[in-house]
Amino acid sequence: MVSRDQIETVLGRIRPLMQADGGDIVLVDVRGNNAHVRLTGMCAGCPSAHMTLYMGVEMALRDEIKEFEELVVV
Amino acid sequence: MRTPGSFSPDNVVVGHSARMRAIFDFVKVVSKSDSSVIITGESGTGKEVIANLLHHSSSRRHQPFVAVSCALFSENLIETELFGHERGAFTGAIKDKPGRFEMAQGGTIFLDDIDDVPLSMQVKLLRAIQNRTVERVGATRSISVNVRVITGSKRDLRRMVAEGNFREDLYYRLNVLPIVLPPLRDRREDIPVLTDFFFKRFARTRGIDAPAVSPAVRYAFSRYRWPGNVRELENACERIVQTCTCGTVRAGCLAAGVLFGAADPAPGAVAAELTAAEPVGVSLDDRLLEVESNLIAWALKVSDGNKSRAAELLSIKRSTLGDRITRCGLQEAPPQADVAGDMAAVEELPRLAASA
Repeated sequence: MVSRDQIETVLGRIRPLMQADGGDIVLVDVRGNNAHVRLTGMCAGCPSAHMTLYMGVEMALRDEIKEFEELVVV
Repeated sequence: MRTPGSFSPDNVVVGHSARMRAIFDFVKVVSKSDSSVIITGESGTGKEVIANLLHHSSSRRHQPFVAVSCALFSENLIETELFGHERGAFTGAIKDKPGRFEMAQGGTIFLDDIDDVPLSMQVKLLRAIQNRTVERVGATRSISVNVRVITGSKRDLRRMVAEGNFREDLYYRLNVLPIVLPPLRDRREDIPVLTDFFFKRFARTRGIDAPAVSPAVRYAFSRYRWPGNVRELENACERIVQTCTCGTVRAGCLAAGVLFGAADPAPGAVAAELTAAEPVGVSLDDRLLEVESNLIAWALKVSDGNKSRAAELLSIKRSTLGDRITRCGLQEAPPQADVAGDMAAVEELPRLAASA
């Protein structure tokens, strides 16, 4: 079971840059070993941003948290 | 086989860094000569660009430029690639085939990845370069070639010589005019110029205006390590231009790898240090001084060095700013001012947004 804190620590690393551009990545929910996140702000409507962040952030989470399974963008 | 494509010297970005300007000045000088040049640099630093530039600034520019990566071929194939073969020399050799050296007749041959050439081939290469003749595989006669030889290597050949993996005689034959290309992370001051250039170029091919670039993106680019060097930056820019839907490049457009790479040392790392099982000392004064000098550098940069204006931006007195500049050792224009400035701008932005 992954904890909210573990995920927030990883997200927190890229958050300052996202926020500097008027956006954010919000951790909505943690269910089991999956995390539900939402993009907000400037990049929320951009399909490319969803794609790149979805893949990259999921990879980073898997790298850093062994039991992490899936990132769901809601 | 790599073709020079549509190389134009106008498509070469020099950059601001002293190292690159020195390299381009050197290229101008050595393009007049016919001596061997060896270009050493990590993958993606622009070895082929420099080789192209050398050829196109030389008197051979109307003759062929042949670039070939020696890493592409197996030990047996490389000889037929470089020197060609006669019909019937081996199974499948159904007709005569000229090698790369012959194809470059009168011009320049660029042998990239020379460090991947096996020792057995090195001796043949040495003979060809020394005698300026090549023998096709299976042929009995030599063909004389007038070719300028430029080699590229990602490893330090001198070290390979010392380790016995590269022939000393070939090394000295090739290493007449050495050019060493620095990795992109060692010339970060060139990143903004290169970024703008690539965005403009890819936007033009897509038929759109060059996108605006946010300070956060510039900051991330200036902090990221770029292990793939200029090629990686170029690809990052291409991907962004092809996928951008809003006309402005923002942090969300970046590959997460760049975002995470730029965040290193992570803000979380500080927290990790503080929560580590074995307590690690953190100097509060040093950290504060770091933040202070970043903000001051940023203020001075955006106010074009006007200290009164900078003091106003930082909500401190003009005289206080003077003291703090001295304390932070910012008297001289810091070489990292750009980076520090952008970083400060990034730190500043969320606060501005929050207070708005």
